[in-house]
Amino acid sequence: MFGEGLAKGLKYTLKSLAKKEVTYSYPEETLQMPDRFRGIQKFYPEKCIVCNKCVNVCPTDCITLSGKPNPDPDKRGKIIETYDINFEICILCDLCTEVCPTEAVVMTNNFELAEYSRDELYKDLQWLDENDTNIRKENKV
Amino acid sequence: MIRTEEMLLNVGPQHPSTHGVFRIVIKIDGETIVEAKPVVGYLHRGTEKLAEDLEYTQIIPYTDRMDYLSAMTNNYVICHAVETMMGLALPERAEYLRVIVMELGRIASHLVWFGTYLLDIGAMSPFLYAFREREVIINLLNEISGGRLTFNYMRIGGVKWDAPEGWIDKVREFIPYMREQLSGYHDLVSGNEIFTTRVKGVGTYTKEDALSYSLSGANLRCTGVKWDLRKDEPYSIYDRFDFDVPVQQKGDAWSRYRCRMGEIEESLKILEQAVEQFPEGDFAKRPRVIKPPKGETYVRIESPRGEIGCYIASEGKKEPYRLKFRRPSFYNLQILPQLLKGANMANLVAILGAIDIVLGEVDG
Amino acid sequence: MHELLMSPPSWLHALIFFVAGAVLLAIVLGFVTYAILADRKVIGYMQLRIGPNRVGGRFGLLQTVADVLKLLMKEDTIPEKADKSLYVIAPAIAFIPAFAVLAVIPFSAHLQFADIGVGLLYYMSVSGITTIGILTGSWASNNKYALIGGMRAVAQMISYEIPLVMSVIGIILMTGSLNLVDIVMEQQQLAFFIMQPLGFIIFIISGIAELSRTPFDLPEAESELVAGYHTEYSGFRWAFFMLSEYVYMFGMAALTTVLFLGGWLPIPGLGFIPGVIWFSLKFMLVVFFLVWLRATFPRLRADQLMEFAWKVLLPAALANIFITAILKELI
Repeated sequence: MFGEGLAKGLKYTLKSLAKKEVTYSYPEETLQMPDRFRGIQKFYPEKCIVCNKCVNVCPTDCITLSGKPNPDPDKRGKIIETYDINFEICILCDLCTEVCPTEAVVMTNNFELAEYSRDELYKDLQWLDENDTNIRKENKV
Repeated sequence: MIRTEEMLLNVGPQHPSTHGVFRIVIKIDGETIVEAKPVVGYLHRGTEKLAEDLEYTQIIPYTDRMDYLSAMTNNYVICHAVETMMGLALPERAEYLRVIVMELGRIASHLVWFGTYLLDIGAMSPFLYAFREREVIINLLNEISGGRLTFNYMRIGGVKWDAPEGWIDKVREFIPYMREQLSGYHDLVSGNEIFTTRVKGVGTYTKEDALSYSLSGANLRCTGVKWDLRKDEPYSIYDRFDFDVPVQQKGDAWSRYRCRMGEIEESLKILEQAVEQFPEGDFAKRPRVIKPPKGETYVRIESPRGEIGCYIASEGKKEPYRLKFRRPSFYNLQILPQLLKGANMANLVAILGAIDIVLGEVDG
Repeated sequence: MHELLMSPPSWLHALIFFVAGAVLLAIVLGFVTYAILADRKVIGYMQLRIGPNRVGGRFGLLQTVADVLKLLMKEDTIPEKADKSLYVIAPAIAFIPAFAVLAVIPFSAHLQFADIGVGLLYYMSVSGITTIGILTGSWASNNKYALIGGMRAVAQMISYEIPLVMSVIGIILMTGSLNLVDIVMEQQQLAFFIMQPLGFIIFIISGIAELSRTPFDLPEAESELVAGYHTEYSGFRWAFFMLSEYVYMFGMAALTTVLFLGGWLPIPGLGFIPGVIWFSLKFMLVVFFLVWLRATFPRLRADQLMEFAWKVLLPAALANIFITAILKELI
């Protein structure tokens, strides 16, 4: 009969009127991300051994770093001096965390990083070290 | 003497209904379209050229961004190509995880198509209902891979990490919930007389046309050709599942709608069986050095939009010599000028929407 | 009101009329403000979200006020080659009939501006003047897309006026008068939507098409190709066109209540509630129905719209007239 499909559609929307809404009231209630979510990185300068694996594996070449020989004469190897991530081209793919042997660079769950000027998007070692909220617990497989 | 003139109209790159930055230049005579020329390339990012300089694991995040609505199948096609070249065998659990996330991605992609197609036709509400379901799927995929749209989940030799505790149970609960919502969509939309008169008989093409333009996916199955790569050339473990391939006969936009809604139902069947059979074991067996031997290969799988293929020519190094993707939306778009010729201008949006293109894939 | 109209003219009477008109205008504008908000909120709840909820407290009560203030502060552009006088006058031509038709609607047994013998005919004919306003606006914009859009809108409105008028002829046959108060009084036994179901359905469908609301909202659709007749109008002039649409919604819903749902007459047994409250309740039901349709249905294509009016609604309206006449003779 003509109109039956229309009537069923109307019934569906009327029933939805009574259902609870599925939206969040955003700035007051934020969306909780699961643990594995890939947000901006957190860097531990004391754990880094300057192996350059993260620089080699980054698909967009957004990590640049430089190291200096360890000032402590007993220990060998290098320690990290500068570590920059160009957040304009970082695609948050998580490959750097996957290859790092000491878990010096790990992802956090922070993704709300809009800024008013492009200069702030070039994250340096100090910012990455201070970025220590919502750090991911499970980092390597 | 009255002289009539044809008008050149530009459905510009920014338009609410062109599913991305897509431009059509149409010549209209009154209300009928005389000629249509699509102009693509506004979203070209040079993925294939960039890939010549990247190792295979580094290419995987780039493939996510091609067909961003169903990123799991893109990840899979390149992993499958490299694994075929290297002759790798995967552990069982990895195969099952791959199938489960690919089918979830397929449902998510069809839900976006459903919502946006109805939004173009004029109904505002099904969009929001479809996205409510999609939010559930995206949250599931977020828990397993860490991203909501670009997953970067598959690796050569398996998947990146295992399903967390309780994830399989959540998938198991999702399946009857989605079935119920799907019957709600059929109530709301499929019987709606306004929708059917708007969509039936619009954008029709024959089986011969479809085969000669090399259409694939639902665009081919709507004309009566029963061809689904998951059944006809089974890859991964699809030969272990029992599912149908929905086929319609008419070749118009309504048939494509029925095909895609049927495909959501079939994906739910596959998910049910995969979750039942889910084994224990390793989730990856990744080789230490990924260097496919010298040679070339072409593999193809069934993505929600059609047949996606990956051709790799390798010189034995860690980077490919040439990587090419056969992207279904680009090929499916080729039939658009023929469909638009002689059509009423008011049907433009209905015809374009039924082909289901994603501009990230058309331009690559 | 009736005595005032009959008595000899004086400045005091003119002032009373002016103030009464201004009060009605204020009520109508208040209705429009909250109808737009209710539209957005009800559609929001049907789509499992809340509508506006930031401006003016938790329910977004000042949202429309903020929107109108924004529109007032926009630059008043007039295209260079446009026909200036027609361009300026078109929104006024579109709005004035919308407000003028409210003079004949009886809100309750004592609240009516003009109790004229041909109330229904006055409503139908004055509401047709709006189409001239739309045509003037689309012509004066000097824009080929606006012209095409305007012609489509006018074609739609004219085609649907015919079934609209014919569907009420059944009521006129049963009442024997065009006076709106008489029509309401005739419904004391049984409201007309039960006695004239076919006429009711045709009236509702044609009314929605007259108002250019979904599923007939092709003149305003953004995702269709050609922009509407108000493309070149920005700021407050555009607000005038939208205002005329919502005031028509007020008028059409009020007319539906009066003609088919029984006006201010109460459901038997609950007569102690004043008539104005009954009128408002029935009126709000009609407005809710219009919003409900907007949330649910897709849009009809231009040629399907025309086909539907001429091939389906018009024969049905004619059939309704014949059936009513035959039944009235037999019973």
